[in-house]
Amino acid sequence: MTDFQSALAISSSGMKAQSHRLQLVSENIANADTPGYRGKTAPFETALRGPAADAEAGEVQIGTVRLDRTELERIYDPAHPLADDSGHYDGSNVDLMVQIADAREAQRSYEANLRMFDQARQMSSSLMDLLRR
Amino acid sequence: MFGQLDIFRTAGGLARHATLRQGVIAENIANADTPGYTARDVTAFADMVDMTHGMRRSRPGHLGAPDHTGSRITTAGTMPSTNGNSVAIETEMFKAIEVRQQYDRALAIYRNSLALLRASLGRR
Repeated sequence: MTDFQSALAISSSGMKAQSHRLQLVSENIANADTPGYRGKTAPFETALRGPAADAEAGEVQIGTVRLDRTELERIYDPAHPLADDSGHYDGSNVDLMVQIADAREAQRSYEANLRMFDQARQMSSSLMDLLRR
Repeated sequence: MFGQLDIFRTAGGLARHATLRQGVIAENIANADTPGYTARDVTAFADMVDMTHGMRRSRPGHLGAPDHTGSRITTAGTMPSTNGNSVAIETEMFKAIEVRQQYDRALAIYRNSLALLRASLGRR
């Protein structure tokens, strides 16, 4: 693979990982009021492809999705159908502030990856312009 | 004139170096959120070139014009954040602009040398 192609592949892997992250964030926000819902988080890791010799591909991927282990919020609402004897029920443990900050960070990183993708594309097309003369 | 086609080789080397650095920067930005990732960079082109003997050899196995693959180094400039990641997007963006300028310069030198060569052949 040429350097251009690998740069494009790495940037697109970054965009893929960031959009997956954004998908998890939107799942969390959509379920912020679902009783008993635990927020999903996923770590980023460097992708290992094939044998160990090719391990340093440099691409990024999203790891196993884990559930947030924070205590579920206890909400007092005796009228709620899920409420127990004390009148409480388990809400979700999604913190909207954290999710929105995460979404914004994912957007910024996506933009940075897109910028690099565009630059590599422009560089290779200006190389092709040399042939056209 | 035809004995001195070094300028094409140097311009090509400069463009290749910029391309390699572009790949490394893309890698850094893609891994900007990976825990434990250390930012990498490529040695400057000026350090790779010996003005009198063309390309400098950094390893014994290299031929006259090395393909710059042995030039990856680890940067220690930025402090790693709490998850051990040392990528700063701003620094990477700045380096990307440098790469773009270097690449455009290399292509401009190449194009103009080619035009010079064509002019010497009497074509326009």
